[in-house]
Amino acid sequence: MLKLDKLTRRFKDTVAVSSASLDIPDGQMVGIIGRSGAGKSTLLRLLNRLIDPSDGQILFGDNDIAQLRGRDLRAWRSDCAMIFQQFNLVGRLDVLTNVMTGRLFEMPGWRAMAQIFTAEERALAVQALDRLGMAHTALQRAETLSGGQQQRVAIARALAQQPRILLADEPIASLDPMNAKIVMDSLRSINREDGITVICNLHTLDTARDYCDRIIGMQDGRVVFDGTPEQLTLGMARDIYGAEAGEAFNEAATSTSLGARPAPARATA
Amino acid sequence: MSDQNDAVSTFERHRAELLASKRLMTIVALAIFLICVALSVWISRFTPERLANGVPRIFEYFQTIVPQLQWDVLFEARNEAGRATPGSLTYWYADFWTYIELIGETILMAITATMIGAIGAFVLSFPAAHNFAPNSWVHWLSRRFLELCRGIPEILLALVLVFMVGIGPLAGVVAIAIHTTGALGKLFSEVNENASSRPVEGIAAVGGTWVQQMLYGVVPQVTPNFTSYALLRFEINVRASSIIGFVGAGGIGQELNRVISFYSDDRVLAVLILVVLTVTVIDLISERLRLGFIGRENFA
Repeated sequence: MLKLDKLTRRFKDTVAVSSASLDIPDGQMVGIIGRSGAGKSTLLRLLNRLIDPSDGQILFGDNDIAQLRGRDLRAWRSDCAMIFQQFNLVGRLDVLTNVMTGRLFEMPGWRAMAQIFTAEERALAVQALDRLGMAHTALQRAETLSGGQQQRVAIARALAQQPRILLADEPIASLDPMNAKIVMDSLRSINREDGITVICNLHTLDTARDYCDRIIGMQDGRVVFDGTPEQLTLGMARDIYGAEAGEAFNEAATSTSLGARPAPARATA
Repeated sequence: MSDQNDAVSTFERHRAELLASKRLMTIVALAIFLICVALSVWISRFTPERLANGVPRIFEYFQTIVPQLQWDVLFEARNEAGRATPGSLTYWYADFWTYIELIGETILMAITATMIGAIGAFVLSFPAAHNFAPNSWVHWLSRRFLELCRGIPEILLALVLVFMVGIGPLAGVVAIAIHTTGALGKLFSEVNENASSRPVEGIAAVGGTWVQQMLYGVVPQVTPNFTSYALLRFEINVRASSIIGFVGAGGIGQELNRVISFYSDDRVLAVLILVVLTVTVIDLISERLRLGFIGRENFA
């Protein structure tokens, strides 16, 4: 169970995340929606401490994540994998090495320095790649792959961390609809099969509805909606996106769907 | 329509103001530059007459160091007594193998100094890059240290080091290595500042330490440029190490200094020709290598 208590992050004059309080049970698939600048990205980065909170608590079990430092902090990041909109792979390293960096925290320091990986680490990385249908690219440089392929490699790197939570910051915003579907399907299968909590920033409403057990809406740094996809009415969505009154809010305008939608996710809260 | 005209006239006025202020800046800068040039001419008394008077003296000096070669005995070897015939190449280059040995020493000095200096520069270039420095005082300290290293002229460092460790190549190697650390460290840190932070963020997010973030996230991006700069520095260091011997810090410079101060005859030219040939050949080879690196490994 991940518990946010009045989590706040200020940047000089602006408040990016304002007093966000949430309980996220293990194994849930959560979608966070909202306009650009609503604080979705900051919230996610606060969770794995790529950004430090200004106020409030992040509790996982009895640990206050907001207070972690040094090795404890790195242990948490290793437990709480993240994938990014721009994939954040090391372009000039081969795909396999990129995935094996997911093991860095567990490796003894001298092996990490010398970039020596064991047969088990290689096997784990190849299995993770194979699960995403990318094992054939293992020895290619990451930068030679297409965007969709790079994101699948990034998910494999996250899997190699054997995490308890997977954060995804706009994972499909740079991808075409076909690749977006592949990536979202793999995130859901990781959630369902491995029981890993997935928290995913999305800017398309229909993706959030189709894939997530629970949707959180953010506006100007505040959590303004928290419920199941069914509870997210058109009126609520209009509020979250701040569509001006009178201007018809068209859900299709935020869509990247291919048309044939997958069956709606089962609603477990 | 009137709105559009208004937008255009506002823009034109704004543009005219901007251009006027830029023009003023250009004129001020040009005036300052011209004053500086005038001052430097005055201080160095850089006048055409003085140059014209000096030119014949160059030839006077060269006359004293040009060998008296004679065509009929040019390729004559040493005679039975082991003496070379005056006027032959063998006579001119009597100490050829000594020179070659010293040039070899010079190149080895340059290689060693470049390697040591590049290692120092590599280590310091990460804290010295403002985007990757772990904290501000480490950043400040490493920047100042690099400035200190490249601020002191090599020849001055070599003088002090000769005093410390004695005459010989060690002093030269250390002096050039220190200067190389400073010069390459600055270039390397600028390469780092242009590297993408995305892979670094990726490694931070898997739980990597700062060193691992640099090693996995930055190093693969910057290696081609680092190599290219290190090779360029090697070229410069070959030149530096052939001069640094003047203060007793080893290499061919020491011999050049000796022949100039004791003989100042054709031996000076003999050494000079070899030095110029060596530097040219090394420049050519290293340029090839560098182009190979930059060409193959385009730095994005």
